[in-house]
Amino acid sequence: MAMKVVALAGNPNVGKTTIFNALTGMKQHVGNWPGVTVEKKEGVFEYNGERFLVVDLPGTYSLTAHSIDELVARNFLLNGNPDVVVNVVDATSILRNLYLTLEIFEMGLKNVVIALNKIDLAEKKGIKIDAKKMSKVLGVPVVPLDAKDGIGMKDLKDVIVAVAHGEVEETPIIPTYEPAVEREIEHISKCLEGTKLVSKYPVRWLALKLLQRDEEVMKLVERHLGQEGLDRVMTHINEVEERYGKAMDLVIAGQKYEFIDGLTHEFMSYGRAGGEPFTDQLDRLLVHPVYGFIVMAIVFYFVFKFIFVFGLPIQNWLAEAFTDFGNWLAPHIANEALRGLLVDGIIGGVGMVLSFFPLVFLLFLALSFLEDLGYMARIAVLMEGILRKFGLPGKAVIPLILGLGCNVPAVMATRTIEDEKDRLVTMFVNPFVPCSARLSVISFLAGLFFPKESALVAASIYALAFTVAILSAWLVSHFVKGESGLFVIELPEYLVPSGKALLLHSWERSKEFVRKAGTVILVGALLIWYLSNYPVPIGTGGSYAEKLGHLFGPYMGLMGLDWKAAVSLLFGIIAKENVISTYGVLYGTAAAIRSAMTPLQAYVLMAVTTLYIPCIATIGAIRAESNWKWAALATAYMITVASIVGILIWHVGLLLGWGA
Amino acid sequence: MNMIVPLSELRPGESGVVINFQGGPNFRSKLYPMGLAPGVIIRVLDRFQFGPVIIEAGGTRLAVGKNMADKILVRKL
Repeated sequence: MAMKVVALAGNPNVGKTTIFNALTGMKQHVGNWPGVTVEKKEGVFEYNGERFLVVDLPGTYSLTAHSIDELVARNFLLNGNPDVVVNVVDATSILRNLYLTLEIFEMGLKNVVIALNKIDLAEKKGIKIDAKKMSKVLGVPVVPLDAKDGIGMKDLKDVIVAVAHGEVEETPIIPTYEPAVEREIEHISKCLEGTKLVSKYPVRWLALKLLQRDEEVMKLVERHLGQEGLDRVMTHINEVEERYGKAMDLVIAGQKYEFIDGLTHEFMSYGRAGGEPFTDQLDRLLVHPVYGFIVMAIVFYFVFKFIFVFGLPIQNWLAEAFTDFGNWLAPHIANEALRGLLVDGIIGGVGMVLSFFPLVFLLFLALSFLEDLGYMARIAVLMEGILRKFGLPGKAVIPLILGLGCNVPAVMATRTIEDEKDRLVTMFVNPFVPCSARLSVISFLAGLFFPKESALVAASIYALAFTVAILSAWLVSHFVKGESGLFVIELPEYLVPSGKALLLHSWERSKEFVRKAGTVILVGALLIWYLSNYPVPIGTGGSYAEKLGHLFGPYMGLMGLDWKAAVSLLFGIIAKENVISTYGVLYGTAAAIRSAMTPLQAYVLMAVTTLYIPCIATIGAIRAESNWKWAALATAYMITVASIVGILIWHVGLLLGWGA
Repeated sequence: MNMIVPLSELRPGESGVVINFQGGPNFRSKLYPMGLAPGVIIRVLDRFQFGPVIIEAGGTRLAVGKNMADKILVRKL
């Protein structure tokens, strides 16, 4: 018999994840919903020997067609046939939470359980809720919970199982609107009658969604009734609104809250709250226009230290371990081609993929901590006003800073940005932020060619990179579809996160990274290995890499560089620090590099190395967080920008007489 | 004197009832489920010079961007 499916739905920040963890324990898996970059969590719990599959839907405030998260949740509720839908409701903000609950009811589901979470916190705030009455009023079971401390979880499981086995008769309450709206619902329902749509979806839900101009439902209607049928319905709605003088969605939303307000009076009362809530007190410091930024800077300092001070040594150690393993293995393989492929190509490539694991894991740990704590939303508030001017969301500050360490975790960090468009723009420009690998190139060249003012020169490259990143964000945000700048975010109560849940979730997310970015990195590493070893090894002048270099030589000449730069940059795609080591191979010594180039050429090389392409691991990360197309576009864009900047610097430099 | 003003003009401590929005359906439908719909009472907790307004609505704290706050019309209480 197939496992019964339990779907978890609810607003963000209501403790849905805590309930998910409490239900499933350590048996869970993090993946993606098919075709989209929305995280999907699944787990299993057992009850009297029967196993239940728990699916955690994305946390959403409603079920419109405007965001991928909401569509994913909605489609699963409509078409995924869950046996039980657990709607997690935050007892401290019932009014807003019931908005989603009513949307679920309006979908015609009759297998809903309300998990009324944070009752302890509500009591502290002076909110009294009679769960039994609430259950009677809403027409579905209500289980009061304090999931953080595991209180009520047993009851929740009991009720879930009872509903799954069809032992509970539900009569979910459906809101009624004012007569004018109800008349239209009826009219539209009649228009839809007799179509196949009505056998698949509740007709009242379809009518309501049409009145609210839901794009997905409009598409459905068009498919079943044709363009003409849809036009007829929409023209009718337009006429009604004209007559009414108000948009239907406005009326419906207002009346839904009125309806909710009426319901809550029957089971909820306000007593006296215990003084100013702790969160409000803390927020006066943490979102303060001066102190807030100071605290944020300190937090960033520690996050950065945490990820890179722990992560980089482990990364180096892992990389070395793989090299050692390769060296140990090499003498045991007689076939030269096979040895090269295995040792340099595969072991080197796999080693590189795995060496990013600690960085990514620590990043997810830090991010989940800040997010669960509730601090991430405060960062967004502090930075929104500043970054929005450049087409970036407030939360982009985190990837921008992490990029200084490594762009891979930085790109992964964009997943905390809710809005799809904001997320895409932020990850697109992130590779411009110079990572620590590029710092090694910049400091080497600056030290060699500008011994007296190396710090100033290095700083100018960083300034250049950030300027390019910000301007690109501004530019790209004009081309990505979607409305941005619609900033509204909840500032949740501060909560101490659970350590076990953090570790588990970060571990699962990191595995997902290795799986998705790993292939890109591996293929890239193998390709470069092939180019540098065939038909003859590099250094002899006959390798494909060198031939490619000569091919691009004239192009590099436009910015004052030669074919050797092209070869070095090619290897830099694997990892940016390779640019210097390849120069080393091609020239032999630092002194030889020094005498082969002018300071202006070195400066161009620094700028181009910083801007020209995301390294293969970063491309993999972008692909993992968006899609192939976006990763390819970001790569092409960077190559273009680096070429333009390189050519500009070279020619302006020549004009100013710095060429010598 | 019940004036209708944009949310962005309320000072910290002041309250208002949401009346209407000066934005399209996409704009509105993002606000409704977060507790900002006609008839809902909100209270301003904090305000940033150029950034978001922090309000309380339906038992939750929300930060609303300046651009959005300009388009949310409230009747001052």
